[in-house]
Amino acid sequence: MMLEDELTVSTRERDGVAIIDLVGDVTTFAEEKINAAYREVTNDGARFVLLNFRQNDYINSAGIAILIGIVTEVNRNNQKLAVSGLSQHFQKIFRMVGLAQYAEIYQDEEEAIGRFQQAAAE
Amino acid sequence: MSDETSQPERLEKVIELRLPSKLGYERVAMDTASSLARRMGFPDDRVDSLKTAISEAVTNAIEHGNQQDAAMKVVVLLTALEDGLIVSVADQGRKPLAQVSTTNSPKIEEAFERDDKGGWGIWLIRELMDEVEFSTAPSGGNQVRMVIHLE
Amino acid sequence: MSTSLIYSMDLSFPSELGYEVIARDAVSAFARRMGLSAERIEDLKTALSEACINAIEHGNSLRPDLRVTVHCHLEPDRLVIEVVDEGTAEFVVRDNLPTISEKVAGLGPLRGMGLMLISQLCDESSFEPCANGNRMRLAFSR
Repeated sequence: MMLEDELTVSTRERDGVAIIDLVGDVTTFAEEKINAAYREVTNDGARFVLLNFRQNDYINSAGIAILIGIVTEVNRNNQKLAVSGLSQHFQKIFRMVGLAQYAEIYQDEEEAIGRFQQAAAE
Repeated sequence: MSDETSQPERLEKVIELRLPSKLGYERVAMDTASSLARRMGFPDDRVDSLKTAISEAVTNAIEHGNQQDAAMKVVVLLTALEDGLIVSVADQGRKPLAQVSTTNSPKIEEAFERDDKGGWGIWLIRELMDEVEFSTAPSGGNQVRMVIHLE
Repeated sequence: MSTSLIYSMDLSFPSELGYEVIARDAVSAFARRMGLSAERIEDLKTALSEACINAIEHGNSLRPDLRVTVHCHLEPDRLVIEVVDEGTAEFVVRDNLPTISEKVAGLGPLRGMGLMLISQLCDESSFEPCANGNRMRLAFSR
């Protein structure tokens, strides 16, 4: 066994928000899983999408490119995207790259859900 | 890892790591560098920056320089100094690095318009490390030398 | 080229105490990629640290200008690690490593403790003088 794939992606719905949980490494090997999860929630009509990280300690530039792809689709589909659970380091990287301008960064899922609900109520 | 003050000559203390050119093995370089950096006293946020920079450098060497030919090696040299850590990553240069790719600053808005949304690796290295220099390795491959200062 | 040679890693470092910790972290990252279980990796960490300390202190007599080299490669069902020093001191292998009760009783040199740990934690271990030094070979089943 050679480990190539160290990411688990799953989806769930909570209070009108489609949550995509990402546990593990976000690298080039993550592309199909993340895109499939996004397509699934979008096909189900999600308007609010949350990428929920778990303090993942390895996200690289290939992973960032995948996430930029998701932002591109989110903009095209008029959805709202947020991220939560990023470590301090990757919050910094997301700001540097410019991802933070297109996806609000929240500390955790609770905070993100609360803000989405406010946005939905407005 | 303590630098003996009594030591008369200045020996370069270098750790050399040779890895197969297969994606995933950059993890070994990240863990080795972070183990050294932690013991040198770098704070957590600097260790994280180092890990990202070395991951990008090794990934580039695997994917680009060595064209993912697993039999080709990526050579990582880690030199612990009193005031910092020098990391050098060299490949066997199947494909030389274009000069322009070592200096560009990608913009996310432009990435939205492109099919290939990548190209952030070298830029991240430059942003995260204190000194970065691209050159040709003695082996003829691409080499990147990065320095992170210990404050 | 065979897979085992392709998926190999070499690491070398100066003979100074402390570097065995870096070697331990490098090799355990490699072992994780090879799919070794967390428990086996804990065994590997301890055994490898002992082997490196032995090479630093004994084989290379703590001379930082001499290097310790660690080769790792994958065989079909196991990970093989070789720790090689530059052999300033020839290693004498004893047939019978001291037992813990002999240690506690103060019998046998303390050094033997590291070797005892290594032999118990690996699936196979051997020690041999090679061209310009000593080589300790450790194998861990997957």
